[in-house]
This record gives sequence, structure tokens and C-alpha cells, in this order.
Amino acid sequence: MVAPTDGALDRAATRTPRRRLAVWLRRVTRTGAVRTLGPFVPIVVLWWLAAELEVFPAAFFVGPDAVLTEFLDLMRKGVLPGYLSDSLTRLAYGIGFGLLIGLPMGFLVAMSAWARRLTWPLLLFFQAIADIAWLPIVIVWFGFSLTAVTFVIVYTIVFPLVLAVVSGVEQVPQELVRAARSLGAGRFRVFVEVIVPGALPAVAGGIRTGLGYGWRALIAAEIIVGTSGVGFMMFDARRVGDVSEVFLGMIVLGVLWYAMDALVLAPFERATVERWGMVRQVEAGR
Amino acid sequence: MTALEISGLAKEYVDSYSGDRVTAIGEVTFTVEEGEFVSILGPSGCGKTTVLNIIAGFVEQTAGTVKVGGRVVDGPGPDRGVVFQNHALFPWKTAAFGLRMKGIPAARRREIALEHLELVGLAGFENRYPHELSGGMRQRLGVARVLANEPAVMLMDEPFASIDAQTRRKLQEDLTRVFELRRPTVFFVTHDIDEAVFLSDRVVVLSRRPSRVREIVTVDLPRPRDWQGTTALPEFREIANHITALLSEGGDREGPELTAA
Repeated sequence: MVAPTDGALDRAATRTPRRRLAVWLRRVTRTGAVRTLGPFVPIVVLWWLAAELEVFPAAFFVGPDAVLTEFLDLMRKGVLPGYLSDSLTRLAYGIGFGLLIGLPMGFLVAMSAWARRLTWPLLLFFQAIADIAWLPIVIVWFGFSLTAVTFVIVYTIVFPLVLAVVSGVEQVPQELVRAARSLGAGRFRVFVEVIVPGALPAVAGGIRTGLGYGWRALIAAEIIVGTSGVGFMMFDARRVGDVSEVFLGMIVLGVLWYAMDALVLAPFERATVERWGMVRQVEAGR
Repeated sequence: MTALEISGLAKEYVDSYSGDRVTAIGEVTFTVEEGEFVSILGPSGCGKTTVLNIIAGFVEQTAGTVKVGGRVVDGPGPDRGVVFQNHALFPWKTAAFGLRMKGIPAARRREIALEHLELVGLAGFENRYPHELSGGMRQRLGVARVLANEPAVMLMDEPFASIDAQTRRKLQEDLTRVFELRRPTVFFVTHDIDEAVFLSDRVVVLSRRPSRVREIVTVDLPRPRDWQGTTALPEFREIANHITALLSEGGDREGPELTAA
């Protein structure tokens, strides 16, 4: 559709009320906030209705208003900011070390035949031991500490990342490597200039999956190791029967992940693989 | 002077599915002089592209030698620039990669890149990524990338095969113009007889597998060439018909396409 100029829109708007409404709708839906929050409106409405009509007993199912009150209360007391910063610190450590280990390891396994032969069975074996299955022994080793949580997050991030890097490197077209070689690039140059960017769509996907896993592992670890953090907050609230705090915790998780995606992952992909036309643009709204 | 010397080239490989030894190239010998445009033609599956891949150093031959400027070559190198059928441009690059590999300073690199973009008719497109260019433009860029690198030989692997007929004609004419202007040494793989005759000084005609050189046909048509004028010459048709005959004859005599030993 060819978008008319704003002047044309304004003139059209003065004609009929229905037109005016249509123009207003188009203007509003063009803004980022509406695009981001719009899909949540019906869900919140349904949620609110379910709570108001007491479809479930109020002790088990609270409405948006109760959660909002809880949110403001916890913010004022400083509990939520404290827990949030604890969770985010753990996540940052976990992600940092996870990427630092996973990316080089992935490229090493992908590039070297003997490294692959040596590590592939190990990778598959250890991938099968779920992140949380490590918690018992990790707690024995490191106690209820940042190290224990970091270990579990790193563990969950590394495996999907390594597998993604390997498949990414395999996807680099042979012709591109050949082209670079016949333009005079040596092995190292081919790696830096061709293999790494060529594998980037898959690597970006691997980072996305890895972070998603890491995020879930963090919450699981906090629930089990639990001394602080959003996961701990939710589980602790369940213990004392404070349903609104549990709801709040779930919402906080969703919002944080969305923010991470919108502020870090999506811009990175827009600047690289989407700009280079290597993947279709994720969606019009981004 | 001889730019490219191919002697006694042979390629055997083991079919990974059946385990049979297959002779793809029986014995291929020819030369390309400096500033000469030589095409290679043959029935499909005769190993034309394999010959190019061996010259480029992408594939190892079973026997025979490849000499560039009198020196035996082994593995890929910047002395043999390749224009690929599917262009093989780097999706993430806009700059002149090969020139950076040569260690040429940035300012000079830009100058050379712009000069060659203009040469192939892409002036003003220097900041575009490959996916923002049409198929024909990508192939022009592929040619510019190789010429800018000043290789001893430009190897072209059916560069216009997957391009629509109209654009192809234009690209063939522009390639001829660039060739007549710059006189690079070109080795050109194709399955299109008219294209080979129009572009080349000589055409190497291969037989079916295991391929040998059936004949090296000299194309003694005047330059500069243009599609309408050149293809209308009686000599053009004569040469094209001669090659057509060679190719169909080769098919009859060699029997089955695959010769397993």
C-alpha cells in the first residue's frame, strides 16, 4: 500500500468521522509502544475479567490490580529492586562466561576435524544431563553461592551455543571460502572474514536459544539454591501463600526477557545478518 | 607469452555411493596466451568445471600439471581470480576484499575499487550489499572483484548461465568490451556455443567422459565485436556449426556417458 502524505491524510480526516477514526487508528498503531503492548491488552482484559468474576477462588487467582499494588509495595520497600539486581548479576556472569567459553569452543570444534572427533561424543553425553540435574552436586561443591548458580547457567548456555556454531560453520557456502582463497586470503583470514560472518545467522540463533535456556536455568537455580533473586521471591511467596507476588514474579520474568531481546539481541541481528540480507527480516514491527 | 599451460591433466575419483573409480578427465592439454580469451566447451558432464576447479586449485588433479606464468601452481592463489556461476559475493562486504589481502592502503584500495566498478558499469553502487543488487549486477561485481585484483588469469565458471537471456546478451557484450579494453587473460567455461564463439579467440572442445581435447578451434573474427554484427557474419555461423558438429560427433563415438574402470 502506498502511504499518502500527512497533508493528504489530514484533508481526508476532515471528511467523515469514520475516516477520522481510521486515520487516528493508523497513526496510533504506527508507534512502537502500541505495537509492543497492543497484543497484551486482550490478555490483561481476560485476566482481569477472570479475577473479577471469581472464576477461580480469589486466594489462588488475583487480578491485575492486586499485582500492581504488590509491585508498588515491593518497589517502595526495595525488595524487588534488590532481588532483580541479584538475578541480573548472576545472569550477567553466567552469560559472560557462557559466551566466553561457548563461542571459541564452538569454532574450535567446527574448524578442527580432530577436535570434533574428540569432543563430539562428550558434547552429546553432557548435553543430556539437564542443567538442574547438576544442582545437587554443584551445591555440594560450591554451596549456596554465586559460583553455583553461574556454573549452572554457563553449563546450559555452552551446549546449544557449540552446536549452533558448528552447524553455522557447516552452512557457510564452499564457494565463498574458495572465492576468498583465490583472492589471496590465508587460512586465518578466511576464518575471520568469511567463516565467522558466514556462520553468524546460526550463531545469533544459538545465542538466542542459549540465553533463553540460561534465563530459565537461573530461575530454576534460584528456586532450588534460593537465598535471593526473582526465582527465590516467587517460591518464597508460594510458601507463605502470597499469590499476587508469584504472579508478579512471572510477569517480571517475561518483561525482562522481552527487554533483553528488544534492547540487545534484535538490534544486533538488525545490524548484521538482516542488513546483509542473510535472513528475512524478523518481522515488520521490530 | 604463455600465461596458462595445462598439460596431461587427468582426474579420477571414487564415486562415494557405488565405490566405483570414475575417470572424469582423461587427458587434457592446452595453453592460454597472455591477453587471450579461451573458452572450453563440451557435452554436459564432461568435466569442464572440474578443469577450472583444478586450475583454480580448489580440486586436486590425479595427473598432469598446471603452470601459471611458467610456474607450477598448487592450491588457490590470487594469481588466478575466479568468477563463479553463483557469483560467490560476500553478503557482508561492500569493500574490495582482495585488495586488502594484498596489503594495499585503504585510500588506494577505494580508488581501484571505484575505477573497476565504473569499468563494469556499476558506478554509484559502491555502498550496496550484494543482496541489494540484481543477478546481472552481482555478476558484473564478480568480474570487477577479479579484475581489480589483477590476476595473471581470470577464470570464469559459466558466469552467465543462471541469468535471463536479455541480461545475458548485455553482459556478454560488456564483457567483450572490457576484454578489448583491458586485455586480461581469460579462461571461460560455458555450455553455450554461440557465447563461446562470440567471446573467444580460441575454443577448446572436449569429448565426452573420460574427456580429451577433440579440437582447439581458432575464432578469427574481427574485434571490436558486438552481438548483432558479429553473429551475423557468415564466419561466425561457420565456426559455430563446426563446433556443434564436433560436439554431437563426440557423443556418438564415445558411447556411454560414464566410463567406470
